[in-house]
Amino acid sequence: MLQCTTLRKYGLALTLTAAACTPPVSPPVDVTDVTSVDATATGDVAVRPPPGPYVPHVPRLRRLTRSQYRHSLQDVFGATLVIPRALEPDIVSEGSSSVGSSESSISQRGTEQYETAAYEIAEQLLREPARRATVVPCVPTAVRDDGCTEQVVRAHGRRVYRRALEASEIATLVALGARAATTLNSFDRGIEYVIATMLQSPDFLFREELGREQDGERRYEGFALASRLSFFLWDGPPDDALLDVAGRGELRGDELARQVDRMLADAKLSRGLEAFVEDWLRLGELDELTRDAVIFPAFAADFGPSAREEVQRVVRYIALERDGDFRELLRTRETYVNRRLASLYGVAFPVRDAPPTQFERVTLPESQPRRGLLGMAAFLALQAHPISTSPTLRGKYVRELILCEAIPAPPVGVDTAIPPPSSENRTLRSRLEFHRQASSCRGCHRLLDNIGLGFENFDAIGRFRRADNGVVIDARGDIDGVPYEDPAGIAGILAEHPSFPACVASRLYRHAWGYHDDEMQRAELERLTTSFASGGYRLRALMRTLVLGETFVRAANFAVLPLPPLPDAGAADASDASAARDASAAVDVVTATDVSDASDASDASDVTAEDGR
Amino acid sequence: MKTLSRRTVLRGVVGGMGVSIALPWLEAMTDRTKRARGDGSAFPKRFGMWFFGNGVLPEQWLPAQEGAGWQPSPLLMPLAAMREHLTLVTGTRVATLNTVPHGSGPAGLLTGDSLAGNEFNNGSSFRGATIDQRIAASIGGETRFRSIETAVQTAQYSLAHVAANQRVPCEADPRALFNRLFGDGFRAPGEMTMPDPRLGLRRSVLDAVSSQSRALSSRVSAEDRRRLDQHYTSLRALESQLARLESNPPNLASCRRPDAPPETIADLMGRPDMRLRSRLMSELKAMALGCDITRVFFHMYSQPVNNTLFQGAPAGHHQLTHDELGDQPQVAAIIRIILEDFAGFLQALSRIPEGDETLLDHTMVLCTTDCSYGRTHSLDEYPLIFAGGRSHGLRRGTHLRARGENICKVSLSILQLMGLRASEFGVGPGRVTEPLSGLSV
Repeated sequence: MLQCTTLRKYGLALTLTAAACTPPVSPPVDVTDVTSVDATATGDVAVRPPPGPYVPHVPRLRRLTRSQYRHSLQDVFGATLVIPRALEPDIVSEGSSSVGSSESSISQRGTEQYETAAYEIAEQLLREPARRATVVPCVPTAVRDDGCTEQVVRAHGRRVYRRALEASEIATLVALGARAATTLNSFDRGIEYVIATMLQSPDFLFREELGREQDGERRYEGFALASRLSFFLWDGPPDDALLDVAGRGELRGDELARQVDRMLADAKLSRGLEAFVEDWLRLGELDELTRDAVIFPAFAADFGPSAREEVQRVVRYIALERDGDFRELLRTRETYVNRRLASLYGVAFPVRDAPPTQFERVTLPESQPRRGLLGMAAFLALQAHPISTSPTLRGKYVRELILCEAIPAPPVGVDTAIPPPSSENRTLRSRLEFHRQASSCRGCHRLLDNIGLGFENFDAIGRFRRADNGVVIDARGDIDGVPYEDPAGIAGILAEHPSFPACVASRLYRHAWGYHDDEMQRAELERLTTSFASGGYRLRALMRTLVLGETFVRAANFAVLPLPPLPDAGAADASDASAARDASAAVDVVTATDVSDASDASDASDVTAEDGR
Repeated sequence: MKTLSRRTVLRGVVGGMGVSIALPWLEAMTDRTKRARGDGSAFPKRFGMWFFGNGVLPEQWLPAQEGAGWQPSPLLMPLAAMREHLTLVTGTRVATLNTVPHGSGPAGLLTGDSLAGNEFNNGSSFRGATIDQRIAASIGGETRFRSIETAVQTAQYSLAHVAANQRVPCEADPRALFNRLFGDGFRAPGEMTMPDPRLGLRRSVLDAVSSQSRALSSRVSAEDRRRLDQHYTSLRALESQLARLESNPPNLASCRRPDAPPETIADLMGRPDMRLRSRLMSELKAMALGCDITRVFFHMYSQPVNNTLFQGAPAGHHQLTHDELGDQPQVAAIIRIILEDFAGFLQALSRIPEGDETLLDHTMVLCTTDCSYGRTHSLDEYPLIFAGGRSHGLRRGTHLRARGENICKVSLSILQLMGLRASEFGVGPGRVTEPLSGLSV
């Protein structure tokens, strides 16, 4: 078994195996016997071998996230466009919605929601004359005017699909528009159906960034590279300037660098940064935050959104406005608060009579131990229970998200109860002492609780407190042997910890690729980390290093198999029930066992569609 | 000349006995045909999962008696009134690997396989389709929706999987569910449809989009092709939903448009109003089944690992399952609240008559959770409660003790009771080739 402490001491632990820090669990351990063998106290030094050559990822379609969907439409059709909220939710896979976007499909309900949204947006685009003029660049001469419809398609198709349209695609859209215009006796209604078609297309809803085959690999170039760049840097589609360069085949070499620098200087970079931070720090979970109103009168519905806004503003301030050392995120005393957060943190809000949505930058007093990200409500409240704190959850968040260590789930079959508050065990620290001593628990709980207990001065919504259950809190502890006195001490240790910049680089890389497993890409992660450090830990520069790196345009080749014929070929207008039956047969849910009685024609495709692994 | 009143005529018709006809016409007609619909066909068989998170307390769950004479254990008391409709199955175990607390159990029961990834609450996928989606793939084409996925605790995704990595989102907002099921796309029996050219145009658009999906499929990897196939299937299903709007709705006597739920549901002192949310969802789902809008559902009362703050509880649900000592009376109280809400759903089904039976008789529901003992995440003595399913041939009103049996036998039984031609279920240690004996009559 790998030994956690040793690895971390050498700063080499980007990821640990799932077996790390877990004592053997079979047979079940008597957790009351705190004197049994400490399974983690073996002394092997396990140093990882140097990374092998970079292995490129197999490219995957990326489904637009909700924010990318919104940005795509607002970039193309105007920022004032109202985007419907009922849309397919982002799926989180292995803690990341970027990973989820490269694994998930579109559900039945999502398909319905995208349809409804497409018609709502199309109708909106043609409702106001001023906006309509930006959508329809010509004056139709009749209810059906294919020439004018084609101009509409050409004006927006490239932005929507992020590539040039083929003639046959334009013809299909124009024909649809003609049919709708004629049926409904209105040119504009026809355009609505054209736009609604584009907005439901998989060419819009999925990012087709597959690369072109070359020498046994695939390479990103042209429109695919433009799309990869813009969704990473802007969390949105390429603009016309980038598409022009891509369309001319000039998106490489110096021109590529020029375009990247232009994009890094654009205000839309803050959207790309925001998407990365949201994904990395799991801020989406703030939407579900609830707290008991009796115990926490300071809690209200806008608590979660305020807490998220604080994190995003501080990141933007450090990484973009000041272009500063990103490690400041952990130890800065500067933060952005609205009135709710100012009152929670016990600082004066600098503006009188400000609306609740107004944020101002404040400097927290030196006398408080509240520092940086881990002093913010987002972390302190999210990593807590609805009523009480959770040193374990807080420690786990730091280990996994700040230091990128893998902490396995608790072993199965272990009794997890902790003693209730009593005269001997009044504080959570003393009640949790059990987990830090019992042989089946301590392997992980010392790693987690030794950090988490240092935040006990902050209650379950992040308010400072001196005492827990009437006893003055002792927030002292150590992180892997380095002692701290209070949360400010933790912030200082983590900001200097070599795993933190490596962790930021690896999460940024994961965000760019939508891949969870990056063991075969360690060479690139180390290059990024080294570059991050030598450049003064500036995040914007790290993003530049990443997208201009040789690996950003490389992908593994994959076989493209011939498309099997549809079971319902030509049956699009068949009776509804049979169409739906055939459609469901196209999914790989009917396993061979379901079709053992192979009597109808669609069974053959069911068998070949066996299983989703 | 004396004219006969309508009432007199009616009296004459029934032989001058002076009885008044109380039953609505359709009800009287179906009464004649007993277990058939107005058009003479049999009532459809439905299936649904009713799931809650964080396990149970096995010792307080297990009733003392087996067979038809079983009496509800302390935890099961909320279901006492529904006893004759229940089939309690105890003693089964998940045979696939128990590596992920709260995740390995549902994966084993619903897919017969272990779980991919190592942390369930941060989103790791099942390795294949769940039984509800296999059933939906088989019978879902008969109805407007293949299946519906709902939740009481606010959440984005259900445990239902169409395939690996294809988790199915769930609807936790009762008003949004109402709009989807009973909004524009719904017509009650007898409601006339105005011909709407827009429906045909929308179908043409979906047809064009489906073609684009096929074109994209021809350029991608096998893995991505599976994802596009799923989207393609959804597009085709939406097309057939629209086609259905142009034909007559099913002739179901009990189907009516339910009242619209409120736009928002306020928390009670910072705690979710689970009872109200559950009641609203139960009414909508029952009527969706009664109107034959769908025949398959997956209901997430609460998520695995949820830390819901129940009314009166001193801490979140998941936290209590781990921290509370002894017999965990607080956890027991929460489980009883959950089962009261489950009983409420069963009652909503039983209030909808179908022929001389009820919707509950024609619906097989499996209520379960994510592990056996929440405190230790054990997967022996898995909690399973079947309800309804008379028309499926489920043996009801009994406690079936199946000690040590592989839980996949239960999964296989469900597929077979729903009429799927399955002869085996599960992978590796999960694999079984026969259903659970004693579960069907």
